[in-house]
Amino acid sequence: MIRLACLLVLIALVIVAIMAIRPGGPSAILFSFVGTPVLALGVLLFGVRRWRDGALSWNRKST
Amino acid sequence: MRQVARVLVLVLGTLAQNAWSAGVDGGATPLFSWPPAHRGLDWLQILPLVAAVPAAAILLVGLVRGRLLPAVATAGIVFLPIAAYALGALLVLEDSKKVTFCGSCHVMTPIVASLGGDGDSLATVHYRRGLVSHEEACFVCHSGYGIWGKLDAKMAGVRHMLRTVANDYTFPIEHVGPFDIDSCLNCHARSATFRAVDAHQDPDTQQALFKREMGCTGVCHVAGHPEEALKGPAS
Repeated sequence: MIRLACLLVLIALVIVAIMAIRPGGPSAILFSFVGTPVLALGVLLFGVRRWRDGALSWNRKST
Repeated sequence: MRQVARVLVLVLGTLAQNAWSAGVDGGATPLFSWPPAHRGLDWLQILPLVAAVPAAAILLVGLVRGRLLPAVATAGIVFLPIAAYALGALLVLEDSKKVTFCGSCHVMTPIVASLGGDGDSLATVHYRRGLVSHEEACFVCHSGYGIWGKLDAKMAGVRHMLRTVANDYTFPIEHVGPFDIDSCLNCHARSATFRAVDAHQDPDTQQALFKREMGCTGVCHVAGHPEEALKGPAS
């Protein structure tokens, strides 16, 4: 799951790099409608993984 | 010694020539190629990359190894990419004001090309006479007045992008709803020549304009853009 999250966020970062290097209509469309959802999905997957690891639990014992 | 001086003069001459010709557009002298070419770093383009590069390095390690230290993973998957996207969004907001941005989608290409043409449409006349910024002409006339006008323009831009992605548009392009005359009034309302026109002083016309029952173009003034340009790239 971490690998998938990394891959998704990496794709999103490639898109933001394209946007930064060549700003314009097509890259803005890619940024808005592909990059942002892919980034959100990657972050969500990472959050789920951390939640399943118990990292987001309030009553987790601190080590 | 004389040879060294000659070489120095040559180098300085070349540098001076380069500095003179930097940013000169289409062979125009520097006075006519205003604003001067951007010198220095374009931070809005660099900052998203500054956040993205270390994140990409972390992600590559995570992709290869399949595990990351929790703090490093949080930085590389959450904080740095979100920072890169926030800065990228700022870049989009700023860059979408430019005429080159609007003209980069093929639907708008003929309209942008017509700005510098010989036509008598309102947009062409304003552009040719230098009455609007040549860098942000589209945004200046299509963004209404004040912060809400700009917000409306940004929302319209998002709708344009959605329609482009969905291929949901037809030619000739038509303005959705009445044109926001606040864009016109923003410059013209305080102009003595504008106020002196009889039609502008007519109370009924003023009411109709303020109720958005009529616009500036179509009835009294020529169309905003040439008809041919609105028919799309094939025209």
